[in-house]
Amino acid sequence: MQMFDRKNETLPPAELEQLQLERLQAMVARLRRNVRRYRERLADVRIETLAEVKNLPFTTPEDMVDSFPYGMFAFPLREIIRLYSALGPGGRPLVVGHTRNDLVQWGRLAARQLAAAGVTANDVLQVSLGRVPESCGAGYLLGAELLEASIIAEDPIHMDHQFEVLKNYRPTFLITTPSHALELARTVEKRRMDAQSLQLRAIILSRPVPRETREQIASGLFSSVRCNFGVPEMLDPGIALECSAGRMHVQEDHFLPEICDDELVVTSLAREAVPLLRFRTRISARLERMKCACGRTGAVLTPGARLDQRYLVNETEFYETQVAEVLRQTRAAGNAFQLEAGERRLIVLIAMSEELFASTLPSPVEAKREIESEILGRLGVESEVQFVQRERRLSAALGES
Amino acid sequence: MLLQVRNLRCGYGSLEAVRGVSLHVRAGEIVGLLGANGAGKSSLLKGLVGLLPPWSGTVRIAQRETIGCPAWRSVSNSTVLVPEGRMLFAEMTVKENLLIGGYHNPDRVMQMDIVFDRFPRLRERSGQMAGTLSGGEQQMLAIGRALMARPRLLLLDEPSMGLAPLMVKEVFAEIVRMREAGVTVLLVEQNVTATLGIADRAYVMETGEIVLEGSAADLSHHPLVKRAYLGQRDESPAPVPSTP
Repeated sequence: MQMFDRKNETLPPAELEQLQLERLQAMVARLRRNVRRYRERLADVRIETLAEVKNLPFTTPEDMVDSFPYGMFAFPLREIIRLYSALGPGGRPLVVGHTRNDLVQWGRLAARQLAAAGVTANDVLQVSLGRVPESCGAGYLLGAELLEASIIAEDPIHMDHQFEVLKNYRPTFLITTPSHALELARTVEKRRMDAQSLQLRAIILSRPVPRETREQIASGLFSSVRCNFGVPEMLDPGIALECSAGRMHVQEDHFLPEICDDELVVTSLAREAVPLLRFRTRISARLERMKCACGRTGAVLTPGARLDQRYLVNETEFYETQVAEVLRQTRAAGNAFQLEAGERRLIVLIAMSEELFASTLPSPVEAKREIESEILGRLGVESEVQFVQRERRLSAALGES
Repeated sequence: MLLQVRNLRCGYGSLEAVRGVSLHVRAGEIVGLLGANGAGKSSLLKGLVGLLPPWSGTVRIAQRETIGCPAWRSVSNSTVLVPEGRMLFAEMTVKENLLIGGYHNPDRVMQMDIVFDRFPRLRERSGQMAGTLSGGEQQMLAIGRALMARPRLLLLDEPSMGLAPLMVKEVFAEIVRMREAGVTVLLVEQNVTATLGIADRAYVMETGEIVLEGSAADLSHHPLVKRAYLGQRDESPAPVPSTP
């Protein structure tokens, strides 16, 4: 049972509450001084207990894209030493800045997560996050450095290459996407390899997965599996860590979580560049207070589905509005459509209309290929277009598939 | 937590000098309280010991609610304030000043020996009028007088004020030695470099509010602290970019 920062990971509830209140009050004071958007909304509100956080205004992902790029920054740009963009509502960009201290703190939070998964200075970590935004890998790099673990940032395109990396460098930890881990497990099985010979101690997945997927990866690769939970608009990784008992503890000395109407709302208590007050994550979740065998006192988070129209296909995230925008550029413009996220590709159901094939009368195969290639080119997502007879049958068709 | 403060408000007349401050100090820590002149640091210390009547909030010292207690009782709560400007009895000898500091301590004579061992120069000057001591010696006497009450929590208000750099070093070394002897310290200072050099954690106050807290090591690199208190100026000051 390893901890990178035992004192702060196991703060007794009374001390944690005091620290959170102090940090929240100082944050509100800083926001009022430094961020115009918050100054207007906060007015003279004072917080005397943590419960009164409910009196503070929310911050939405829409606020972040509306004030893109620097409107939410609490520091002048000269103090910001790194910028990462993230996907905002409707596919609009938003930006997360980091001061030097932000990066130091981020490294510590990531190190806590890695240490909880068992990483030590003797370990070699392969970070292979494919299409996950680069910032995620950067967080793990900072954390691994603090633990003095070796890190290989290799992103093998082909499975043969992945096996070569495993053979040559002998990584003991693989930080990757669920898709890549599953494919690796399947390939091991197909090639009748001995998973034990890979000598992987643990797989750290970039996002939470259902229990069956986790078991499939664990048994397929003969290693333990931990999941990451991050909020890219705020910090990813670093908000929560999975302990040896399989519980996702919120790092509550840095983040104050709430559940509002089933949605996870997080306040970043110690971020400097872009402090976010009551950020609506658009993720459904449950929070529980429990005594955990690992000794950590942070609330246990069980994340659920997304509450907005954000899709995840083959580890690429996008919004329905982005697909609509792409379709508008094709001959399917104006036709009703529905989306279904498959594991590998996006299913796009488009209602047929007379106009769709009226002008040049291309074959449906040709039209389908054109739209699929447009979606791949613009969104980086493999898709499968299906034309359905009538608009009103769209829902039924989705229900059947 | 040896000291736990929540939402403390106090001030002078209608002027609110401390505007809802929360902070804590764990046993054995040195915690710095930084801020510019007029930020409310000294008022906060006075509020903690009851010299300035608190308007609202809670103060717990060793789990005991002490808000509303008169200042003289804070000594029996094992909390002693070394005020800004020393506030010695200038017309009294070093020894008399020390004995006043230990007025409620039945072992005050024995305690005075301990203080003399800690500050040998005070022993040499025990019969001298306090007002005739050098600034550094006066500060040592002020701290020594506080130690006569055998405090668990020592509140130091600007101990480096008016001292030569070499003397500042000595006073800060003494604070570290006191911590080693089991005294917990809340240190109000404008000498940010020296404070962050010995403190475990620190708070930064601005106009009556805490605006920053963190470990001393982290705060010494903090842009706000560097700019405001460590005298590092920017070549090209630019406003915070913000969309209208």
